[in-house]
Amino acid sequence: MARYGMALDYKNCINCKACEVACKEENGVLLGADKHRIWVGVGEIEGEYPLLSIVSNTFYPSQCQHCDEAPCQMVCPTNATYYGEQGQVRVDPEKCILCSYCMNACPYDARYVDDRTMTVDKCTFCTDTRLERGETTTACQNTCPTKVRIFGDLDDPQSEISELLRTREHFTLKANLGTKPKLFYLT
Amino acid sequence: MKVEVSRRKFLQGSVALAIAGGTSISVSNLLAKDKGKIEITTKTGTGEATFVPTLCEMCVNKCAAIARVENGVVTKLDPNPRFPKSKNMLCPRGNAGIQALYDPDRLKSPMIRDGKKGSGKFKKVTWDEAYSYIEEKMVKILDEEKDNRSSFLFCAGEGMAEHTFKQFYQAFGSANWLNHSSICLQTVVSGYGVTLGAYPQSDLENAEYVIMAGANRAEAIVTPDTMDMFKRTKGRGTKMICIDPRFTNTAAKADKWLAIKPGTDLAFVLALTYVTITEEIYNKKYVEDNFAGFDKYKQSIIENKYTPQWAEKITGIKATDIIKVAREFMAHAPKSVYYPGRRSTFAKNDFQLRRAMAIFQGLGGGIDCKGGLVFGSKIKLKGHEGLEPIYDRARSRGVDKKKNAVKGEAGYSDCAVVGGGGSWVSWRNRFLEKRMPYNVRGMFIYKHNPVLNMPNSAKTIEMLKKMELVVAIDTMPSDTVMYADVVLPECTYLERTDPVKTFGGVEPSIAQRNKVVEPMFESKPVMEIMQGLTNKISKSIFEITKKHDEEVQDLIKEDGEEAAYAEFDLTKPFHESQEKINEHAVHDHHGAAEELKKHGVYYPDMGKYYKQVSANVHQYYIESRKSYSVNGGKPKTKSGKVECYLANLSTKGVDPMPIWRDEYNFNVPKGKFRLLTGRHAQFTQSGTANNSVLRDLIFENYIWINKRIAKAKDIKFGDNIEVSSSAGKVTIKAYPTEKIAPDTVFFVHGFGQESEALSWAYKNGANDNAVIEDVTEPVYGAAAMHETNVEIRKV
Ligand code: SF4
Ligand code: SF4
Ligand code: SF4
Ligand code: SF4
Repeated sequence: MARYGMALDYKNCINCKACEVACKEENGVLLGADKHRIWVGVGEIEGEYPLLSIVSNTFYPSQCQHCDEAPCQMVCPTNATYYGEQGQVRVDPEKCILCSYCMNACPYDARYVDDRTMTVDKCTFCTDTRLERGETTTACQNTCPTKVRIFGDLDDPQSEISELLRTREHFTLKANLGTKPKLFYLT
Repeated sequence: MKVEVSRRKFLQGSVALAIAGGTSISVSNLLAKDKGKIEITTKTGTGEATFVPTLCEMCVNKCAAIARVENGVVTKLDPNPRFPKSKNMLCPRGNAGIQALYDPDRLKSPMIRDGKKGSGKFKKVTWDEAYSYIEEKMVKILDEEKDNRSSFLFCAGEGMAEHTFKQFYQAFGSANWLNHSSICLQTVVSGYGVTLGAYPQSDLENAEYVIMAGANRAEAIVTPDTMDMFKRTKGRGTKMICIDPRFTNTAAKADKWLAIKPGTDLAFVLALTYVTITEEIYNKKYVEDNFAGFDKYKQSIIENKYTPQWAEKITGIKATDIIKVAREFMAHAPKSVYYPGRRSTFAKNDFQLRRAMAIFQGLGGGIDCKGGLVFGSKIKLKGHEGLEPIYDRARSRGVDKKKNAVKGEAGYSDCAVVGGGGSWVSWRNRFLEKRMPYNVRGMFIYKHNPVLNMPNSAKTIEMLKKMELVVAIDTMPSDTVMYADVVLPECTYLERTDPVKTFGGVEPSIAQRNKVVEPMFESKPVMEIMQGLTNKISKSIFEITKKHDEEVQDLIKEDGEEAAYAEFDLTKPFHESQEKINEHAVHDHHGAAEELKKHGVYYPDMGKYYKQVSANVHQYYIESRKSYSVNGGKPKTKSGKVECYLANLSTKGVDPMPIWRDEYNFNVPKGKFRLLTGRHAQFTQSGTANNSVLRDLIFENYIWINKRIAKAKDIKFGDNIEVSSSAGKVTIKAYPTEKIAPDTVFFVHGFGQESEALSWAYKNGANDNAVIEDVTEPVYGAAAMHETNVEIRKV
């Protein structure tokens, strides 16, 4: 059985937000900037014009980390948050009671409330849309002008993502928390 | 490594963090209530779907897309990986094309004005009623103007169907055609055109060193440049130097950003040239073989002492940086690119700037070669027969010739050269100032929003009010449409097949926009609108020609009326369906018509070479078949040389080679600010302002004010600021930032719609062109958009 993860060539990101729109259109995500599964983190620039720090303006594309040790799953009282068959962290809207424990527990703040169902939602790795149709890329990966993302099976040593993680240095976010994210930032 | 990635922090951190050009904070949900219901995106299904290859029209790039259609509804637009130009990507606007199709504010049926001009009051009519109305007015005007066909102006925005509309203009016989060129890329295209013989592309996939000056490819997306560039910066194959008066997203992705004073790039290039020549680091062989007038130019550069120290004072860029850039550029040449740019006319000296850039590029020999500037090749299409009758009474283009102009001076009062696309601003001003050689009383506008897209909106509105007949063909009730007398609803790009197009480049191809769904409401493709309109008017306006045109009267006597009319039959270019015309256009390429319907893209041996290399990468051509070099490394000018000195320019009052003039110096009176404008990746000018998904990303534009200045003026984030110039004033919210110089302010273009029919865009943010003054550059009369100083005041 596959174990899905994603590698991000984050230095490619130009903060264009094509991924965000593609995600919304593919997955029927509600409009509103507080209703997104995917975002680009960027800090306020440091320095005084014209002596500005370029690195302080780095773009960090991000989304749910699909943690192997997911705090959101641990705190969920109804088991609405669960691990999918390929390691995706999923939410079952039938079981979600909107206690919002998971939203507080997630160190990456990847979760939001879908006002239609009044349940918690987040990135699904396009499991119930693209993957279910047999496609092998996510919407955010596919549309990206600079091809930031590579999605694939971490357990398959032959997969492109496994090869990349073997050959290129990378880091995960907040690694010290022991959540074992499956989003890998390539340096 | 400390990384700012929390989603909540991103939201709460500060609104300012999310601002690229505008802002992307969730105020939209609050405002949605009074601004119309926010549409919900449709989740794609897992059942049956059909797929139609099309081309995006959310901006000018024409990226290839595949539309997913479920039960007749377009649920997703995916990138089409087969197109070498767009390389399997769709930008945010491309993804949001669905919302353009399903925008509830779309123009749904033909309308005739039913109130004062500009009141926005229209009555719904049938297509026939609309055509009849146009016919009646047109016959009257043409008769009164004695069949001077130039008493009608035709203008169009960029688009694949622009060609179809232009055929109507040509058959109609007017000489007054205005396109978007003079408010976009006229000076860069012609600057490179006269110097290198063509407006080249840049091989950013292979360049090792790139100077990107005044071109913001991270936010003003151009394909394939945007995709090629940013995968390779930051020590990954290319070193990119960004030169810009403000810190853009391109600056953020650059290896070095050099802040420059607005409008002084020419001094920077002249100093690069000085260093290159005096240090003798240019490609001597290339210059010897391929330059014309080099000695004169060299002499001018040295005698004028365009030293790095001289340029430092003018540009604000340190002399040591200028020396370094010149040396690095030449060290990497020919695999180095001084990026030509696209929308270009920022300052009055722009034409000379582009010439100087082209010559500097040539000094490194990076012309028509891998990693440098490339001309590429193009797959030929067969032409479609148009109609260009000669109307004896039609006057030539409405220009204002200078009386008693002497040799060595511009021959026109507002420019030196009149280009095919004309100068929009000058044309409008001549019309308003009654400097036209004859009456112009009617105009046709296709996919074009002159009220918002060119400097001094107030004057454009005045012009539209003065026109007796304004016919607007558009998909949306734009600010310009509000001033129309007749509105003809075009269908969106997803509802029509457009003229097939050939795309030149290193990897040339042909691509076609195929109809995805049937036109909604009463809307139609331009082709059908032209069919209907010409069927209605052709015979009746021929009667006017018969009445006034002696040549035609003679012709009728000789050949009979039927034969004579055949030459003037306006319906002729529109007899065939677009599909048929496209099949004919690609007839010489075996199998192309089928491929274009099936895959949207065609190029020779596509079946053999096209393949997926990895999840994100596709191969189009094999290396040996790529058109890096098509002209033996030489420029494409008639002389075959890089033209440093153009004597014929001086006869028109234009400097024959690029030099600096004192009037080019950057100067802002105390208490004022230089206003800059620009683009961002989520909007295409004013055309996408009502798109619900995009508007959700950027709700309104903000004015960038240097933080220290803002502090001194007690301006805080979100404060309302009045920005004023001699052209007008606007109110806009403040964004204090260090990304801009203390003497400069900036806000993005595309906001500030006044059309109440745009429920989401109405009065969001400010319209830059309401304050940008109508300054033009002297060569073509192109609008110089960064020459306006403004005052700002907290209100
Ligand atoms: S689409 Fe790609 S480049 Fe654009 S914001 Fe998303 S990750 Fe960044
Ligand atoms: S990122 Fe947050 S929501 Fe996603 S799996 Fe980890 S803890 Fe759960
Ligand atoms: S993987 Fe799918 S659901 Fe997750 S952010 Fe990307 S597009 Fe959205
Ligand atoms: S760049 Fe974006 S808007 Fe322009 S054609 Fe391509 S996908 Fe469409």
